[in-house]
Amino acid sequence: MNNIIKKINFYNLNRTQVLGIIFIVQMIVQSIFIPYYFSIYGFFDASRAFVEIGIISLGMTLVIISGGIDLSVGALLALVSVSIGFSYDAGFPMWAAMLLGLLAGVLGGAFNGVVIAFFRVHPLVVTLGTFALFRGIAFAISKGGAVSKFPEWFGFLGQSYVWGYVPAQLFLFLILSIIFWIILSKTSLGRYIYAIGNNIKTTTFSGIAVGKVQIYIYTLTGFLVGVAGIIHTSRIFTARGNAGFELELACIAAVVLGGARITGGSGTIAGTILGVLILNYLKDGFLFYGLRSDWGLVIIGLFLIIGVFINEFFRKK
Amino acid sequence: MKKKYNNLLIKFFSRPETPVLVFLFFLIFIISIFTSNFLTVANLKGILEQVVVISIIALAVNQVIYGAEIDISTGSLLAVCAFVYGLVAMETGGSWIALLASLLCGFIFGLFNGFLSTYGKVPSIIVTLGMLFILRGGLLLSNPGTVLNLIEPMRFFGMGNIFGLPVSIYCLIIVIIFYHFLSFNTLWGRNIIAIGGNPRAAVNIGLPINKVRMLSFVGSGTMCGFAAAVYLGQAGQIQATAATGFELKVIAAVVLGGTSIAGGRGSNFSPIVGALLVGVILNALTLNRIPPYYELFVLGLLILIAVSFDGFRRKLLEKDV
Repeated sequence: MNNIIKKINFYNLNRTQVLGIIFIVQMIVQSIFIPYYFSIYGFFDASRAFVEIGIISLGMTLVIISGGIDLSVGALLALVSVSIGFSYDAGFPMWAAMLLGLLAGVLGGAFNGVVIAFFRVHPLVVTLGTFALFRGIAFAISKGGAVSKFPEWFGFLGQSYVWGYVPAQLFLFLILSIIFWIILSKTSLGRYIYAIGNNIKTTTFSGIAVGKVQIYIYTLTGFLVGVAGIIHTSRIFTARGNAGFELELACIAAVVLGGARITGGSGTIAGTILGVLILNYLKDGFLFYGLRSDWGLVIIGLFLIIGVFINEFFRKK
Repeated sequence: MKKKYNNLLIKFFSRPETPVLVFLFFLIFIISIFTSNFLTVANLKGILEQVVVISIIALAVNQVIYGAEIDISTGSLLAVCAFVYGLVAMETGGSWIALLASLLCGFIFGLFNGFLSTYGKVPSIIVTLGMLFILRGGLLLSNPGTVLNLIEPMRFFGMGNIFGLPVSIYCLIIVIIFYHFLSFNTLWGRNIIAIGGNPRAAVNIGLPINKVRMLSFVGSGTMCGFAAAVYLGQAGQIQATAATGFELKVIAAVVLGGTSIAGGRGSNFSPIVGALLVGVILNALTLNRIPPYYELFVLGLLILIAVSFDGFRRKLLEKDV
């Protein structure tokens, strides 16, 4: 088996480089086989649909590297969106509503982190619980309704273009990516995250406050969900309780496709970004080709399983 | 004589489902004060019938969680199996052949889940999360907007009566006896608990952990097929979005019942007690005309309380040792 891998990989490429090549090949193939697919405008415009997924995936990368998982991000996005919409509807000024949305995200993330760290329950079950809880609160606040009256300028975050064709939120994604790349690879917090993912027991015995780091990770993810929630609300100009449905799957699939081990200990921000790009341009291609959007569910589910399977099966012993 | 009595009491209170059982009776007491038509025979029978589908699947998922794995694909798998049941029933007109087809469908997907999460080395959360969406996506793609309507004779497992009791209750009793037998009278049943309790020790003494775990997934898949017959029989009609979020109710029932999510602890009655608790609470919400969107909120809260309780218990145990 190792010989085969060596033969295939004679340029000695790492995961990120392989993903980069796959992405380029994918774009070329899609441009050739789907009529009228490729244009600079279309290429950038497609990013409007996945910047939210990308932003949350940055946090999800930290979570998965630390050996955890966060299933509640989609529900939390709905809660953020509903908080923004319904507080504005109740008479708050727009900036305060946005701040409140961000706060809802941070608090939701912190809640996950505290329950996980304090009760030492597996993140999977905790976030499965908060997955229902957050969406339940979102539905309870909105009472099944929606708000779509916002001031004109609020659309700037999700609907405006810089230089005519680059969506404004893409720059935010770029900035956040750099910040999270620095956190993960240049700070001690990043090192701790890898350490926890590799061996939580050894990390505890090395005197690192594992619980604290876990709370940081989930709070940061909550913050990102808050940012993504603001962008989402601004993009579709509606706050509704069913926002962000199946978002968690898209994020987890992108992160594992990007090379993060689901059991923790390895993963990179660059890989995650490429994972986001590959999955979402594939989805974009499918839609452009005229296939039904339900295919998105199937593709992402398949890629999730295949991605982890490849990670685990071809892992160097 | 007195000592024996004490032993029984201790035995009772050390069972995993006891706290929930006590809580359940307390809750029924409270609810019956506030809700006038709660404690009626018709309503209680209704709750029992409602809980059957959750319980059947929860019993099987219970075994998966014993082995420190998880299966969250049950909601979509239930819908897929129900569609298979409905289509076969409409084609042939018989409910037994349809049951067989639905069981087979569940068996195949359970085998797939189990094989990938053990021999395929993909963590079960990823496999079953992926399957949850793949199956739902497939269902939406293949049956856009279709609504299946079943007629009376095909709804035997949900509507039928034998000796005055609904068939669904018999179905549940069969499944309970089946899993109780598996747990206490077969090697597999002992092995799965041993593996969940300490996987490394289980490997060291030579248990075939992949095979044992895979079979637990096959069980949960097949039971989805069985529950689908009851589910469709009770509902009478189905569409592609049916049973969305059902996996949450199942997981809630299992963890509420006192089965430890870390594996190795639980009983075959705990998921039923958990399912009853979920059923009673949802029923009370309906009776008090609380809008349905609070349902998710309550489910989430229940899961969180249950797992925090379990985490707290394990923390205390660690201090003891």
